[in-house]
Amino acid sequence: MTDRLDRWADPPLLVLASLADEPKHGYAIIQDVAETMGVRLSAGTLYAVIARLEARGLIEPLETDDRRRPYRITMAGAEALAQQSERMSKVASVARERLSTRLRWAGA
Amino acid sequence: MRPPTPSGSTPSGSTPSGSTPSGSTPSGSTSSGSTPSGSTLLARAALALYPPSWRARYGDEVRALLDDSGGGLAAVASVAWRAVPAWISPPRHLHDRRARMRSSLATALMAWSMLTGLGLVFAQLTQFQGFTAPGHPEVRWAYAVFDVSLALSALVAGFGGLPLWLLMLRRAWREHRPRDLVYVLLPLIAPAAYLAVLIVTIRLVGGAQGVSPWWFLVVTLAGFAAAAAAAAGPGLALRRLQPRGPALRLAVAAAGVAAAVMAVAAVAIVVAVTGLCLWARHFAGYHHGTIPGVYLALVVTATTVTTVSAARGTRAALADT
Repeated sequence: MTDRLDRWADPPLLVLASLADEPKHGYAIIQDVAETMGVRLSAGTLYAVIARLEARGLIEPLETDDRRRPYRITMAGAEALAQQSERMSKVASVARERLSTRLRWAGA
Repeated sequence: MRPPTPSGSTPSGSTPSGSTPSGSTPSGSTSSGSTPSGSTLLARAALALYPPSWRARYGDEVRALLDDSGGGLAAVASVAWRAVPAWISPPRHLHDRRARMRSSLATALMAWSMLTGLGLVFAQLTQFQGFTAPGHPEVRWAYAVFDVSLALSALVAGFGGLPLWLLMLRRAWREHRPRDLVYVLLPLIAPAAYLAVLIVTIRLVGGAQGVSPWWFLVVTLAGFAAAAAAAAGPGLALRRLQPRGPALRLAVAAAGVAAAVMAVAAVAIVVAVTGLCLWARHFAGYHHGTIPGVYLALVVTATTVTTVSAARGTRAALADT
C-alpha cells in the first residue's frame, strides 16, 4: 500500500523541496529525494519536471559544471513551495487528528 | 530568500550524507574513457526521441545523469516515455515560434504530399477503374467527398504557400544561392521530371490494357519518390533561408486548413476502401484484407502526421501574431 501511495507524490514539489536548501544538479536531486523523502525519481520524470519548473520561473539554471548543470530555487519557487508546504501541513494535521480519533474508537 | 550559492559558482552538488559530491563520478557511472553499458546507449537513443530544442537544452545534462546513474531499463523507459509530452506540450521557454512554424510546415508538407500520393493511388485503383458496390451508395459518396477534399486541399495549400514560395525564390535568386534555388524549384522540377519519365515509360512498356502490375508498382514508387523530393525541397529551403513574417504565417495557416480538409479526404478513403472490402469482394485485391489493411495504416499514419504537424505550426503562428 505504501508503494502505491508513493505514486501520488508530487514530483515538482519534491524537486522544489530538494532545492530549498542549496542548488543541486540532476543526479544530486535524485539522490537527495530518495534519501530524505523516500521517493525514487526516474531520469525522464526529473527532467520533465525540471523543464516545467524552469518554464514557470520556479527554478533557474546555474553555470554548467562539466555537463552537470545545477539548478536553484527562485523567489517565486520558494514562495510556491512555502504555500504548498503550509497546505500539506494542514492536511497532515487533519489526517493525524482524525486517524487518532478513529484508532481510539477501534481500541475502545 | 535565494540560496546563498552565487550564480556561476559550482554548488556543493547537494551532498547530503551519503550522496555523491558534484563533479565526481558516482559508482556505476560510465566516466569518459570507459565504455557505456548497453542500457545507457539505449537511454541515449531514447533521448533522440525528444524535440531538437529540448535535446539542445537538456540533452547533455540527461546524458550525464544517465551516465552517473548507470542507465538501466527503467531509465530507458522513463526517458523514452517522457518524450511524448515533450512533443505534445513543449516547455514554453524553449519555444522558438518561427523555428516551430518552419519545422512544422516542412513536416506537414512532406506528410501531406505522401497522403496526396496515397490518395492518387486510391483513385487509380478504385474510382478510375469504376469500382462500386451496388446497393451501397456510401462508396460513391466517398469518391465524391475525396475528389472535392483533395482538390480543395491542394488549392488551399498552393495559394496559401505561394507568397512564401515566391519570397524564398526571390531571396535565393538575389543572394545567388544556387543550391537553395534548386530546393525552392523542386516542387516544379520533380513532378515535371516524373511526368516526362512516366510518359516515356508508358509508351515503351504500355500495351492496350495499360502497364503490367509490376510496372505499375515501379511507376507508383517513382511517383512517391518524386512527391518526396518535391516536398523535401521547400522543407530544406525553409531550414536554410529561415523566412519569417506574414508570408510564413499565411503558409502555416494554409497548411492547417489544407491538413484539416485532407483529413476529410482520408476519412473518405477509409470509408471507400472498407466499403469495397465488405461489399465488393469480387474486385481484385479486395477479397482479403492484408493489402487494404497496410494501405489504410499508411493513410492513417500520414493523416496523423500531417494533422499534428499542421496543428503545432498553426498554434505557433497564432501565438506569434
